[in-house]
Amino acid sequence: MGALETEVDRLQAENDRLRRVLSDLCERIVCGRLTGDLPDNFLEQFSRLPDQPLEKVLRFLPAHQVAQMRHVSRRFNHLIKKCSKTMPKMRRDGTVVFKTNSAGELTVDWFDFCGQKFTETILVGDEVALSELVRLIHIGGTVWFAQGLSATDEILVQLSMAWLEVCPEVVIFSGDLSHTSRDSLRAFLVKVQPFLGRLHFQNVNNIVSSLLSDDVIGAAGWLEGLMIKPECCGSELLNFNIGDETLLSLFNVDSPSSYFLVMGCSGITPNGIRAFIEKWMKKERLEEDASISDLGLPLEFCKLTFYKCANVTPAAIEEVCGDLLKKITPVEPDDSFVGGSEEKKERIRFTSYCPSTNCRLEILFHYVPLHNYYIDEPEPNFANDYYYHDYHEDSESEIENDDIDDYDGHDAIDYDDEDDSDLD
Amino acid sequence: MIQLCSNDDPPVSFTVPRKAVELSKTIKTMLEDLEGFDMEQTPIPLPNVDAPTLELIVKWVEQHQDDPPPVEKPRVEDDDSDDSDADDDQEPEVVIPEWDKKFLPTDDEQKNQLFKLLNAANYLEIKPLLDIGCKYVADKISGQTVEWVRDYLNMENDYTPEEEAKLKEEIAWAEGL
Repeated sequence: MGALETEVDRLQAENDRLRRVLSDLCERIVCGRLTGDLPDNFLEQFSRLPDQPLEKVLRFLPAHQVAQMRHVSRRFNHLIKKCSKTMPKMRRDGTVVFKTNSAGELTVDWFDFCGQKFTETILVGDEVALSELVRLIHIGGTVWFAQGLSATDEILVQLSMAWLEVCPEVVIFSGDLSHTSRDSLRAFLVKVQPFLGRLHFQNVNNIVSSLLSDDVIGAAGWLEGLMIKPECCGSELLNFNIGDETLLSLFNVDSPSSYFLVMGCSGITPNGIRAFIEKWMKKERLEEDASISDLGLPLEFCKLTFYKCANVTPAAIEEVCGDLLKKITPVEPDDSFVGGSEEKKERIRFTSYCPSTNCRLEILFHYVPLHNYYIDEPEPNFANDYYYHDYHEDSESEIENDDIDDYDGHDAIDYDDEDDSDLD
Repeated sequence: MIQLCSNDDPPVSFTVPRKAVELSKTIKTMLEDLEGFDMEQTPIPLPNVDAPTLELIVKWVEQHQDDPPPVEKPRVEDDDSDDSDADDDQEPEVVIPEWDKKFLPTDDEQKNQLFKLLNAANYLEIKPLLDIGCKYVADKISGQTVEWVRDYLNMENDYTPEEEAKLKEEIAWAEGL
């Protein structure tokens, strides 16, 4: 018995010794390889310090220096990379534009708030991964996927990496989406969802079927602006599967002005629009809004714009939502809308207003110039002090002739007699 | 009173009030686990701490034993919260108190002692001491060149020239941003 106990003790001690040796060895392995002979006074040195205090030291440093410190040694580099999720990052809140040229090179352009370009990087092949490039950068502001195959699965997957801080308020897709699958798009939208306010698909082409669906767009959560406008090539217009679900789950309670613009979408139905109007008009306003001024709640404004959507025609809206809306057909000729003379005839606006919540809603057909919603891509060497067109400002003049004051409560019928003559 | 032993041969032991020694989370947990044993009679060996470092640790915990416990900010593991700004991830503001400024071995000849102290503070989980020590080192490094930092932290440049060139490019790019 005694011998057995001695044996157990011996094995225990041996086990402990091996464990210590193993942990010693682990600390000597940096970046996957043994660092070789250790200096005699290794124990005395800071490099003996476990990662945690070193990581702490790095986190106290200014963001730009952390990137520099990667240069100190492999271990530093390894540590910074390993902890990049929590390292201080350089904030970039302007615009970052991704472009792919015909040779397949990805260009990453950075612009400041004023649209001034300050740097350009060209990534060829797999030499430097995009996720490496932005590892220590906090991306805010606007993310643009412009020209060519810039929003490919590979790029979206890299930008969706968990340790990256990709937090844009605005995301714009344009160009060729043939190499973009719903899974990668969805994953990207899930990542940016907490920050995203506006999501645009501007002049996109080669959209893979089922790429744009309720499920994918829904991943972006609440938005204040959604634009889906495929590239228009003559009469051939791609149809996509956005339905009422997207419309109904779109807007947050605290976005003061929102828009929804779709082109060539058959999924939205007049009944869905009716449900949306009812929801929007009854929406609860934030209390803090009410306390801002004595005049009551500030105006909240929502615009739905439809272009060539099979199920959403002025006549159908009239039939299903007529009791909630007032129809206005502009008398003055207006050159600023899109489309030919045929669409001109369909240029119709429906409005609804609820005085108790001070919420206004408009539904437009071929009415407001598209570019009012467009976000222009920042141009190199071109200083423009705003590249967001203020859609609200432009539409202000159109509101003025609406008879708001005779509207007397929720869901009341509110027709404007003089404009009714054009109806049918 | 609790007895702590250094890793020297022979070990040097220090007698510290229990309240002070409990600033170390490692020892506090250990004492809690060994509730019921007479720990006053059993010296606690600290295999990672030598006598000069342990002396500093003891000095520090005795000085700070009456400090209000630090407010534990719950660490958000996966921050999906809506308003997660960049500063969420950064260390909270750490101010080194006057007494600690004098206490920390800050002469350049003493830097290895400082590093050993940080090592011990990490091992013993004395977060406030680790905080101020790391803050001191960060302040020291802040604004210095890579070569200077390497020298200060006794680190070897173990990159191959190719790796170094490539990294330099990447870093230069990030700086231009």
